Amino acid sequence: MGATVSSSRIYSLCFAVVLCGFSLLTPGAAAQDWFRTGTGLGVEKARVAAADFVPRSSSAQPLAKIFSDVLRADLEFSGILELVSKSFYPLEVPSVPSELKHAAWSEAPASAHFLAFGNLSASGNDLAIEAWLYDVSNPAAPAVLGKRYRGEVTDAQLRRFAHQFADEIISRLSGGIPGVASTQIAFVSSRGGNKEIWVMDYDGANQRPVTSLRSIALTPRWSPDATRIAFTCYASAGGFISAQICIHSMETGKLVAFPRWRGTNSAPAWSPDGSQIMFMSSMHGDPELFLADANGGHLKRLTYSAGADTSPAWNPKTGQRVAFVSDRGGIPQLYLMNADGSNTEKLDLPDMGYVIDPAWSPNGQLLAFSWRRPSGNYDLYVMDVASRKLVELTRDAGRNERPSWAPDGRHIVFESTRTGTRQIWSMLADGTQLRQLTTQAQNESPNWSAR
Amino acid sequence: MSQDFYHQAADRLQTPLLWSLAFHVFLFGSLVLSTYYSHRGEFWGGTGGGAITVGLVGHLSGVPLPRPEVMTPSRVVDETKGLYQSEPKPKEAETPAQKIPEFERNKPPRYVTRPSRVLENDTPPPPGAIPYGQGGAPTMPYTQFTVGGGAAGGLGFTGPGGDFAGRFAWYVEAVRNRISSNWLQSTVDPAVRWAPRAVVTFQVLRDGTVINVELTRSSGNASVDNSTRRAILSSSPMPRLPEQYTGSFVAVEFWFDFRR
Repeated sequence: MGATVSSSRIYSLCFAVVLCGFSLLTPGAAAQDWFRTGTGLGVEKARVAAADFVPRSSSAQPLAKIFSDVLRADLEFSGILELVSKSFYPLEVPSVPSELKHAAWSEAPASAHFLAFGNLSASGNDLAIEAWLYDVSNPAAPAVLGKRYRGEVTDAQLRRFAHQFADEIISRLSGGIPGVASTQIAFVSSRGGNKEIWVMDYDGANQRPVTSLRSIALTPRWSPDATRIAFTCYASAGGFISAQICIHSMETGKLVAFPRWRGTNSAPAWSPDGSQIMFMSSMHGDPELFLADANGGHLKRLTYSAGADTSPAWNPKTGQRVAFVSDRGGIPQLYLMNADGSNTEKLDLPDMGYVIDPAWSPNGQLLAFSWRRPSGNYDLYVMDVASRKLVELTRDAGRNERPSWAPDGRHIVFESTRTGTRQIWSMLADGTQLRQLTTQAQNESPNWSAR
Repeated sequence: MSQDFYHQAADRLQTPLLWSLAFHVFLFGSLVLSTYYSHRGEFWGGTGGGAITVGLVGHLSGVPLPRPEVMTPSRVVDETKGLYQSEPKPKEAETPAQKIPEFERNKPPRYVTRPSRVLENDTPPPPGAIPYGQGGAPTMPYTQFTVGGGAAGGLGFTGPGGDFAGRFAWYVEAVRNRISSNWLQSTVDPAVRWAPRAVVTFQVLRDGTVINVELTRSSGNASVDNSTRRAILSSSPMPRLPEQYTGSFVAVEFWFDFRR
């Protein structure tokens, strides 16, 4: 009896040992690919070089130069990578991957991690671009990106392709947040004599008028799908000329029907899904915030206060909270409320002074605004709404007003009088890499399209 | 007559002189006082007056921009004595020195301890050994040094896990950028200035979905640990795995160094 017990124990022990052996031998767990990385004391940006694109014919030479310059400017302004200075590039430039010499680019002085290169050919009115992005520090690595673009030979098309390729690179290296090189900025310009709505590429190129109402157009706002622009226009309502809400369709190039109300109606703001518009109206006497559908139906009054309420900004992430400006406390200050008008709270700042032009960042965490502190001029600030932490972005450079965030949350466009005239400027959201986008006449009230 | 006139004139001048002196003293006194009072409490650039605390630019969590790099003192080269003997230092030119008269107490001890023959390591250093404390940052490609294994302070190594970081350095860069932009350091307890390294492991499926998030090394602070886990969960889905990669998922070990 005892012998059988011990022998069965021995058998089970042997079985367990054999099982363990099998589990150790099983492949799969050991062959799993892995990598290790991290973040903390700052991040080393990837160094990216963008070689001059090689023209296949002499007629393509100026085109290749424009393409390379636009691509380089886009990468430089992306904020997430470091563009290797052109003077460090080797003289021999590859046009196809087989000509690429990895060491020439990865070693000093270029010391690049990634290289964008390619070629460009133009025959007649046909443009063809081949573009690649390679990891030059590792010759064995496959291409990160390979793209082919075909289109017409026009300056706008060439720039669009360069922007698209830059966006692909930025999206790859930033972890899926698309670049903003293909986005547009709407603004108000008086260069034609009247204040009209204009639109330009995000880098200031390709500026073109959108409206020709020959009156005054103000505060353009892109709809979230970038097909319409709502703005404040001056039109007759009930026999009087007064400020009204107008909506321009980018697809038809015409105004979309939108009702007109008594009094002053201005400062439209789209809901994040594009189905509603919030605006300021004095149709009941006092300037208050109202909410209507995008076609003007279902009008609803949201605020009931003694002072004027204006400049609503809808939290684009949640769609639940709205920041707006009110002088119910004596001077214009920032307030937050729910999108249905309930639960109003004041955003207290550590100093007095006018606070205007709130703008939410795309992730719904930061609020940019312009603030005139008692000691100075209007300057741009960013507030982390959860912790109420403030960061000042501009200082001692004219009046800086009306910030608007790019859809990637890394860039801000605003108007500034630092050159003496009112112009549109853009910068990274940490206040660096300032760029002046407009120079002609007076330009103001920029708004960055959502895509 | 003339003498008398002069006396009278001197008498007349004395009172105005005193008045003038008194007024001058008053004038200068009021100048000093007004200067003092108008500048009191307003130190240039100080916290008094109308100054408020506004944070440094470039340190705002929530903006998906890479944090600026921080300079830290190098720990590779130090002054400690190494395992192996260093190269002899070049001799400095001797300066003629005056001998200081010796004190009684500083006389050499009678017994000199000889170096131990048992404890001393008499095996010669291997050829090409770098003396301890004389190394430097290795010059390695970006993919190997920064991405592959900058983590634990060592070099990247390709074990049985394959060479994912070497082949797809851009993907590693993308993951790092995405998670660091989603790491909201404002959610960490404001009292915490610094925390030891926290390490989180997870797996990325082909479509970018993040699974099996696990905190393998705690920072010792619950709010830091939570913020790191939240950073990874809010980064899901990651970008799709590279098309050239054949595996079904990739394991990631991600470290966080919290420092305000």
